[in-house]
Amino acid sequence: VRPLLLSLVALLLTGLQAALLHQAGGGAFTLFLPVALLVHLAITADLVDGAVAAAAIGYVLDVSSGGTKGLLTSLAVAAFLGIRVIRIGVEVQGWAGFAALCGLSAFGLSAGAVALTRLAAPLEVRPSWELLPRIALGALLTMLVAPLLRLGLRRLDGIFGERPSELRP
Amino acid sequence: VLSLLRRYRELILVAVLLLFPLAVFFANAKKPSQHSRVDRAVLTLTAPLEKGVGVVVVGVLEAVDGYVALRGAHRRAAAVGKENQALQLELQLLRHEAAENDRLRRLLAVAEAAPARSYTGARVIGVRAEPSGLQLVTLDKGSDDGLSRGMPVITGDGVLGRVHSTAGGSSDVLLAIDRNSSIAVRVERTRARANVRGLGHPGLARLDHAVRSEDVIEGDLLVTSGTDAIFPAGLPVGRVTRLQRAAHGLFLEGSVILIVDPTRAEEVLVITSGARDRELPSSALAPGRTP
Repeated sequence: VRPLLLSLVALLLTGLQAALLHQAGGGAFTLFLPVALLVHLAITADLVDGAVAAAAIGYVLDVSSGGTKGLLTSLAVAAFLGIRVIRIGVEVQGWAGFAALCGLSAFGLSAGAVALTRLAAPLEVRPSWELLPRIALGALLTMLVAPLLRLGLRRLDGIFGERPSELRP
Repeated sequence: VLSLLRRYRELILVAVLLLFPLAVFFANAKKPSQHSRVDRAVLTLTAPLEKGVGVVVVGVLEAVDGYVALRGAHRRAAAVGKENQALQLELQLLRHEAAENDRLRRLLAVAEAAPARSYTGARVIGVRAEPSGLQLVTLDKGSDDGLSRGMPVITGDGVLGRVHSTAGGSSDVLLAIDRNSSIAVRVERTRARANVRGLGHPGLARLDHAVRSEDVIEGDLLVTSGTDAIFPAGLPVGRVTRLQRAAHGLFLEGSVILIVDPTRAEEVLVITSGARDRELPSSALAPGRTP
């Protein structure tokens, strides 16, 4: 149930993000709101449930981004695993830690997508590393709005009886 | 083997979730992306949400404006202040409406200039411009309104992009700034041929396949040539800038400032007819002005 629920939330966030970007800036800058779900999963879910939900979220991202399927699905699972690894080494707590992880994930996902697309795509459509400042700005803005998303996700967990902010083995 | 599989089943599942989509991506990376029925269903779900959020955001902004205006009015001496605020708000609304009317008038001029074509007017309701994906905007019209993949999308100034995918009540437009977008163009002054390819972010595009011996100079207006079987001929695309004529090589190197700023596009026309071979009078379009 949780992967399905979170992919619906991802759908909601991508829709919200598209409308917000249209109203504010018209695409001059970007956001990556659904990474908050991946961070939340890495903090609260166990390995298998979390990986399945991350893949479901990645699929939604793949569809909404309009690019080649599989790229963001794989990167979402990789981001989920990466955040779990970071959490093992570093104690990340509170809204500031959540925001930092969101910013890092947004940057990692976008930069990873550019890197993989550069490897796989035909020469004439390969993205340039000149996109990095745009990616960094998007990650920064995502980091700024992440605490609000954390609040919403904790509420959602409360509704469905999950225990927030606990790393499960 | 079975006991090993059982023992590491969780890790195997995670590895499959990680590697299988990656394999799918590498297998399909060189093909144009297409939406399946499931994908279209997912997109159909997001369109009403984007419309709804747009309405809510505009409503909240107007409410905040009204609240700020009211607080200001209380601080001033009663009636005159209130009246002034109300007039300011009214003026702001009128300016907004005048700008919208101007954009719509220019779209109408484009439609009237080529009456043989059929158009569908649409509004932009969402922007999907993550560096990790395609540069898309979402329109509030879809396959239910007769839109289909590949149809050209223009504003009153020139080319915005082409329809990438459609759902029932919405569609995604691949913008000319996307790196997968390549538009066949001519230099309006000399009729020299070239292509305009996006770079994946708002701003400049790249001048592609402009033969070095052709007469192209900075500032030249590029219009669609009609040879790509997507865009009708004569639509403004951009102006040449940063032109470099290297000593060697077959092609010129240069950038293109696109006529239509996609971050400001609000109302658009989708060319739904197949009559794409007729030259559009350049007087119908106003290069340099963005809706």
